[in-house]
Amino acid sequence: MWKFLSDIVQKTLSGFGERLAAFGPNLLAMALIVLAGLLLAGLVRLGLRFLLPRLGFDRLAQRTGLATMLQKGGIAAPPSRVLAVGAAWAVVAVFVLLGIGALNLQFAMDLLSRAFSYLPNLLIALALVLLGSLAAAFVRRSVLIAAVNAGLPSARLLAGGVRTGLMVLFIAMALEHLGVGRQVMLTSFAIMFGGVVLALALAFGLAGRDLARELLEGALKPGGEGPHGDELRHL
Amino acid sequence: MSAATLSPEVEAQLKEIGPVELLVGIPSFNNARTIGHVVRAVSTGLAKYFPGRPAAIVNSDGGSSDGTREQVVAAELASPSSILVAHALSPAQKIVTPYDGIPGKGSAFRTVFTIAERLGARACAVVDSDLRSITPEWIELLLGPVLGQGQDFVAPLYLRHKYDGTITNSIVYPLTRALYGKDVRQPIGGDFGFSGRLAAHYLGKPVWDSNVARFGVDIWMSTTAVAEGFEVCQAFLGAKLHDAKDPGADLADMMVQVVSSVFDLLGAYRDRWASVTGVEAVPLFGFPHGVGLEPVRVDAERMIRVFRQAARDLSEIWRSALAEETWRDVRQLAEAELDQFRFPDAVWVRTVYDFALAYQRRLLPADQLLRSLVPAYLGRTAGFVLETVTSDAEDVEARIRLLADRFVAQKPYLLQRWS
Repeated sequence: MWKFLSDIVQKTLSGFGERLAAFGPNLLAMALIVLAGLLLAGLVRLGLRFLLPRLGFDRLAQRTGLATMLQKGGIAAPPSRVLAVGAAWAVVAVFVLLGIGALNLQFAMDLLSRAFSYLPNLLIALALVLLGSLAAAFVRRSVLIAAVNAGLPSARLLAGGVRTGLMVLFIAMALEHLGVGRQVMLTSFAIMFGGVVLALALAFGLAGRDLARELLEGALKPGGEGPHGDELRHL
Repeated sequence: MSAATLSPEVEAQLKEIGPVELLVGIPSFNNARTIGHVVRAVSTGLAKYFPGRPAAIVNSDGGSSDGTREQVVAAELASPSSILVAHALSPAQKIVTPYDGIPGKGSAFRTVFTIAERLGARACAVVDSDLRSITPEWIELLLGPVLGQGQDFVAPLYLRHKYDGTITNSIVYPLTRALYGKDVRQPIGGDFGFSGRLAAHYLGKPVWDSNVARFGVDIWMSTTAVAEGFEVCQAFLGAKLHDAKDPGADLADMMVQVVSSVFDLLGAYRDRWASVTGVEAVPLFGFPHGVGLEPVRVDAERMIRVFRQAARDLSEIWRSALAEETWRDVRQLAEAELDQFRFPDAVWVRTVYDFALAYQRRLLPADQLLRSLVPAYLGRTAGFVLETVTSDAEDVEARIRLLADRFVAQKPYLLQRWS
């Protein structure tokens, strides 16, 4: 009985030792790859933190509204630093995936393969959200300035509404790309967008009749200069 | 040399006409209602004040579809009976041509400059095609100083209502005067005289694919002349009355077009204006006189409302464009009572200089930045109107001069922040 147990333990240990001997180099390779990834990520972070401000990235972010968007999201750091950190984490993520691949395990290979095949969708979705936020910030500012110049009292509300609508549109497009709740997203967006348009139409029709009449009269009356009737010639 | 391309018909006509001494250009686009009158006034002016001198009238058209070009062709040129002279007249030659290039007044002028150079004109003028108040005397006043007094550029000086031309009065005139040191009162007047030498100089500039070709040619011509040391003078032309205003003309669009042109030139000529101190008067030709002008209705209360709203709603833009001190002052102004509302000169000058710097540094897209200047301009205009409501035109002119002097006094602020 004792011998039987001893054989089993010996077989188990020798089997583990063999598997460890076969698997050890893969583990070591993974550790090395992850370590190299961490080092490279550090270098990327340092390099971007040095280069981006000198290339005027923070100024560009200020112009495009990206900096304001980050601040509103509670991120007070300069956009160049945020991008440097993001890029460093992306490098780490790629090297961790490569490290898992080095283990040469079937499930790891499947995971790696799926992750890499999903990566383009993820990148496109990220690009869509980034593009959307830039476009939304730009359009919001244009609408805000035009509404203030026209003397509309709810200029901020209008500009904010336009920005939110655009962001929702781009996020819905990004989620569609990721394949997350495709039907649910599409239906929700259609219902919400239709609802907003209907609400606006009703609000304008019921509450803004006089304003609409005044605006149309100002625009269509020959020689009219809008509802305010200034006769200043500015040039 | 970046001359405009001329059609074979125009080339043939130029060969037939031969050299001329005087040339008047009339840019047009759908001005059939008024251009006949303008052509007759120009032709009469040439015949009356410059008899015997070979001359040409060039209509540079932007593809009018209302019969503008036909009106020019049909316009009768001066006859002895129309101007009460006994001597023989040599009527001016008419050249009617579409211009090529980007649609805009600048491209029309480019064609005029090209023809002026090809015909060897000594003195040239350009006049708007929508003028109702042009008289033959304008031609004498625009060409005479070039021909007889050695001037290179004749800027118009119009008689205007005290609240007419408020962008000119509060931004373009004082800023141009302070930067380049020449007291040209209406640098974007639209009707100018210039020498053939200056026309060739304009033609050689690499600007004909830029905004100058579209809308900024008036201020560009004036600024180039004053900044590059040409002999500059003014001619008093009396009142300027246009055809009915384009109802589509929008204040924000005007602001973007005019102020972007001024700010672009400010960047381009930085090395020249940085060393200019003080202001010198330029010779004035003509006989200044007063005429009755129609009153102008101004809704100052609405302007102040827009300004106040902008101080609240556009705070993120203004805060980034304005220096901290200026932003603080502007916020305080927005809180003033309506009847006490004023926009002090010192704050306005800093506002304009700060926006000029923000424009150079590209803090925001140019279009958005300049559109956001509109409410500040309305605030300034409202304050000015309230301050001068009982003043006559002369007092208002003196008040504008004070503002212009303030721009000069605070020029070191611009230089300091620029560097």
